[in-house]
Amino acid sequence: MPTTAPHLSPLCELPVGATARVCELKGDENFCQRVREMGFGEAALVTKVSGSTTSLCQVNGTRIALSHDAAMNILVERLPDSAR
Amino acid sequence: MNLPPHIVSPGKKRPAHGDRTPVYALVGNPNCGKSTLFNALTGLKQKVGNYPGVTVEKRIGETYSQHGKPIKLIDLPGAYSLAARSPDEAVTRDVLLGRRADTPQPDRILCIVDATNLERNLYLVHQILDLGRPVILVLNMMDLAKKAGLHVRVTRLEQELGIPIIACEAVNGRGLVELKLAMSRADLPLARHRWDVPVAVAPAVAELQASLTDSDARSPLVARAEALLLLTDFDTVRVAGSTPLSWRTTGILETWQKRWDGEGTDWAGSLVNSRYEAINRLCTGLVQQDGTAGPSTSDRIDAVVVHPLWGWLVLGSVMTALFLSIFTFAEIPMNWIAAHVALLATWMKGAMAPGDLRDLLADGAIAGVGSVLVFLPQILILFFFVGLLESTGYMARAAFIMDRLMSRVGLNGKSFIPLLSSYACAIPGIMATRTIEDPKDRLVTILVAPLMSCSARLPVYLVLIAALLPGDAVPMLTEVGIMLLMYALGTLGAFGFAWLFKRTLLKGAPPMMILELPPYRLPRLRDVVLQMLERASLFLKRAGTIILGISIVLWFLTTYPKHPDPAATATQQIAHSFAGRAGHLLEPTIKPLGFDWRIGIGLITSFAAREVFVSSMGVVFGVEESNEKNTTPLREALRKAAWPDGAPVFTALVCLTLMIYYVFAMQCMSTVAVVKRETNTWRWPLFQIAYMTGSAWLVCFVVYQTGRALGY
Repeated sequence: MPTTAPHLSPLCELPVGATARVCELKGDENFCQRVREMGFGEAALVTKVSGSTTSLCQVNGTRIALSHDAAMNILVERLPDSAR
Repeated sequence: MNLPPHIVSPGKKRPAHGDRTPVYALVGNPNCGKSTLFNALTGLKQKVGNYPGVTVEKRIGETYSQHGKPIKLIDLPGAYSLAARSPDEAVTRDVLLGRRADTPQPDRILCIVDATNLERNLYLVHQILDLGRPVILVLNMMDLAKKAGLHVRVTRLEQELGIPIIACEAVNGRGLVELKLAMSRADLPLARHRWDVPVAVAPAVAELQASLTDSDARSPLVARAEALLLLTDFDTVRVAGSTPLSWRTTGILETWQKRWDGEGTDWAGSLVNSRYEAINRLCTGLVQQDGTAGPSTSDRIDAVVVHPLWGWLVLGSVMTALFLSIFTFAEIPMNWIAAHVALLATWMKGAMAPGDLRDLLADGAIAGVGSVLVFLPQILILFFFVGLLESTGYMARAAFIMDRLMSRVGLNGKSFIPLLSSYACAIPGIMATRTIEDPKDRLVTILVAPLMSCSARLPVYLVLIAALLPGDAVPMLTEVGIMLLMYALGTLGAFGFAWLFKRTLLKGAPPMMILELPPYRLPRLRDVVLQMLERASLFLKRAGTIILGISIVLWFLTTYPKHPDPAATATQQIAHSFAGRAGHLLEPTIKPLGFDWRIGIGLITSFAAREVFVSSMGVVFGVEESNEKNTTPLREALRKAAWPDGAPVFTALVCLTLMIYYVFAMQCMSTVAVVKRETNTWRWPLFQIAYMTGSAWLVCFVVYQTGRALGY
């Protein structure tokens, strides 16, 4: 298992309203592939819309709901609010 | 369906159309408007909803070219990628690759994309262009794109790809003429667009492509597309579909995967990324955004609907409104149907000479079918609501809200949609599980779906509630209260068993849900009504076939053999009949639940379908329909029913126990058949019958015996 860079945090911990860049996908390979295919891959920009356990995110103009375990496996880097 | 026999090997040259009917496939991401377009083109009544996974099986329809020639259309389930992750996506992939013996391989492909989300939608298009078939790209939802301030340069995209591109608003019928013109063209160009796979992956693609061409009889282009699929999917069996891959191809694939695993490089990931890079290049300067768009209407609605607190209140209100309207609005049409069925039976009795034939028609056929027909209005209302929730886009929000609760029992929010549909009928519910990616989660959902109280249980509950409460007029609130209790019991049972199965039989990884929430749309009343009517006609078909058949068979079984004494009472006659004997045989096993042999007859016959219980009781207790409220005569008969020692059979406790029995027991042949088809084995439907009916007996035993001990 590759070690995770310290500045990365799981998507589920991203506060509502914050924007982040997807940096790393962990866990089941099938899941990672599907996330990438849905345009949620590395380098995608994601904004958290709502949710603490189940996350609701905006990616490329699409609303996507992710269960807690799914959001745990998407590691993101939070962007400063001014970069949005 | 009379389809042309042209399932040609993709390795051969595409046949010239000549007089043969060309076959088009409609493909696209979930919820991009494929089914709406399919309806607009064919006029066929097909289910259209606004949540991912409405089309879970392909549908075939027909349209006409501008020259009046027929064109076959296949509407395929929505997919994000040809690397299928769920059974519904596998249908799409297999039809496109010509792996389904029951479906012709499409000659041409209509790719539908949502213009508001071009890049994501183009991923699937990009994979389809690899197949080397003529493609027409339909940019749907141009109206929504305009509203969002997006301008798509259609001509430029057309130049880049080299295929016809039609801007379209399927909902309003705009762009359909242009689309039909393009579909009528005899010479559709092949795509010009080419992309390069990463250099490190290219040798693997080339080697697999050669093997697929030589050993698996694929055409070079399809072989390349399939080689790319095999490298992005880790479940080769699933990718190969029904046709297993040759040992040579499997060997090559394994060697490459081992090599990459050893190197620690994620080539599957880089294949997806390089496709997206190609799409990004394609899209640069293609879409212009006017200014900065503020929050859309969907955003504003979502602020309330998916709010941690308001969201639950909205969901609760929707569910309450749903159940209340089933019980209030349906009453007038129900009484009307009951009165007319009774009139027909009375007329029949007056018009025919007394005898077995008259009794067969009046007491068997009319009374039996009539007692089930009464529930048509409630079923219509239920399906109307489900259709409304689907077409507005709320259903996906409900799945989002329910995900937290579902994850407690080891399932995810996606299982909620099939479970909610199962309140109407378990069959569409079980079909809808095809959108669930994880096979174990899908199986658990299939196993527990029939525990959700379906519309066929309504007749049983209503009759038993009427028998349970004293007095002629059942208070509305009490009726709804008991009914909600039964619904809650079934729902709790479904969640409880899901929890149990996920921890024992079908242990699996924690659920990973990734679900797209479509933008809200105003419901299209036409689609909702069409869907409701389709369901109603299925119900009527069932009433006209299975239920009519069972009513007649049951009448025969309760009438013959005739009692030796012609003056015997109806009760003596039934006790002497075949049905009576079967009921007596069953009585020892159901007596601990407080049920007598006559209820036993109902339990046996309603294994075909739960609502048959009501008509069976009608026949067993010799109820003649009257002009009064439909449940009154049957209720009176049930109240009069007694054990040999004179004690009443249908005490309040027995009615309650019987309702609980129907909450849990697996009493539906059609569901058994669908579960067999969906799981492809008899093992799971048999297991389902055993665990559901077993738990029904156990719960009823505990409830009845406890009730007795408490003096009820």
